[in-house]
Amino acid sequence: MSRVLTVLAILVAAASRVPAQSADDLLQQGVRAYQRLEYDAAVALLRESLLRREPAALADSQRARALSYLAATELFQQQRDSASAAFRTLVRLDPRYRPDELIFPPQVTNLYEEVRRSTKVLSVQVPPVTELHARLEWFTARVVTTSVQSVTATLARDDGTPVRTLYDGPVADSLSLKWDGLTAGGTLPAEGRYVLHVAPRPALQDGPRPLQVTLDITQVAPDTLPWPAPSGPALLPERTSAGPALGSLAAGALAGGAVVALPSLFGRSGEATGARFAVAAAVSVAGLVGFFAHQPRPIDANIRANAPARADWQRRVEGVQAENAKRRGQARLLIRAGPVTVAERAPS
Amino acid sequence: MMKGGLRALAGTCALVLAASAASAQRRPTISLRADAFMMWVHSDTGLARTSLRGPGFGGEGRIGVNGLLFGLGLMQGQLKPGGVTGGGASHVDLVQGTVFVGGRLLPWLEMTAGPVVRAYVTDSTTERWVFWQARARVDAPIVVGQLASYLEVWRALASEVNLPTGAGRIQGGEAGVVFQPPQQRIWLRLSYRMDDALLGGPSGNETLEAITLSGGIVIP
Repeated sequence: MSRVLTVLAILVAAASRVPAQSADDLLQQGVRAYQRLEYDAAVALLRESLLRREPAALADSQRARALSYLAATELFQQQRDSASAAFRTLVRLDPRYRPDELIFPPQVTNLYEEVRRSTKVLSVQVPPVTELHARLEWFTARVVTTSVQSVTATLARDDGTPVRTLYDGPVADSLSLKWDGLTAGGTLPAEGRYVLHVAPRPALQDGPRPLQVTLDITQVAPDTLPWPAPSGPALLPERTSAGPALGSLAAGALAGGAVVALPSLFGRSGEATGARFAVAAAVSVAGLVGFFAHQPRPIDANIRANAPARADWQRRVEGVQAENAKRRGQARLLIRAGPVTVAERAPS
Repeated sequence: MMKGGLRALAGTCALVLAASAASAQRRPTISLRADAFMMWVHSDTGLARTSLRGPGFGGEGRIGVNGLLFGLGLMQGQLKPGGVTGGGASHVDLVQGTVFVGGRLLPWLEMTAGPVVRAYVTDSTTERWVFWQARARVDAPIVVGQLASYLEVWRALASEVNLPTGAGRIQGGEAGVVFQPPQQRIWLRLSYRMDDALLGGPSGNETLEAITLSGGIVIP
């Protein structure tokens, strides 16, 4: 009867002080009550601290601490089911969390381990921003399970197109999921949005739910070398110029035109004979002959003379091409990860 | 009129000599040319208009020394009426002699000057023209060493004619194509020329047209 009165008094006092007390204050008071073995008061204070919502809510680390003390208190009050429920909440909140063995006795930590093993939880932790050299460095995500669980981790485009399977196997506790920045074909992924999908296998109705993280991938273009300029003596022309052909055509056309125009230029009468047109035609035909005779064509001697210099230049070009291809292959990837969400569907 | 011609000739010679002074000492070259032509002469004296035509032959020889050119030419033809308006001679002999001096100022430009004597001879009369002429010739190769076109223009710097009307300006031009077979010193030429001589009166002129087929040789 006295215990009931004590709890009521604490709750009334707590309720009257709620607006003035933060969740952290309530947690501290609950911990002190636990340490004084005032379990009823501790349960009330800790639960109250856990019920607070934003912006006065507990941080995740403090929430885990509150759940640990709450479970321990419930256990010491012979409320094993309530203690297990608190621990399950704790496991789902942070599968990596372990109650401090210096604070809590073995019966508490043993219960936690028992609950942890029986509560199948899958979580994924991804760094918000990763910048890496493909092939040389790694993008790392951490997959955590509370019990041995087979998982499949795949990377796909946001339209579902598979890119690469990163892991397919059991995870006993945690796994560093590494990706070298390449697709299954060994190439760099195109820029765009991708999805890292981590799913338990087999997928059970009461098992952990698959998770996914969106990854926005951009390529940071590397500096490439310019093509080498031809060095050494200038290459000899390897084809004859079109200039002589046009010059020949022009010479014939102008002379032919002059033949036709001479009477107009120098004569006064309009009695010039038409015979000059025959001469004009002959001159123009000569121009055409010159035009076709001077059509550009390869100069074999110059081609042979240029061959060593051209081969040397070609080798240097190929060297630069190889170096640039290597640099492009080592392009840096900038990966921005979104929040971890529950997957609605599996990638196709 | 003749004094002006001499001055022009002297100027041309000075120009050519200046050009030749800069050129290297080379062996003289001689070139000979033979012409066969068909010519037309249209004469308008104001009283009568006459058209004559006929074949002719001619030739030219020139020698080049250190960029200087010296040459002389002769042409002769017999013209017959092609159409008579108001009367005229039954046939006319044309004789023309040329002496010139000049040089090649640029690889593509040749300039010459010299006196020309042209005579139209009938059974009863001789119409004689004497004029000093400056000529410029531009060569344009079509296929180097084988085919070339050229344009030559001339103008009389001074002229005289034994006609009552006197002589006016005389000018003309010639254009054609020259073919030289590979590795040969001979060449062939097809050309058309137009020469127009004004009489001294308010009207009247004599126009000479010719289509010429020439063959030549260069003797180094």
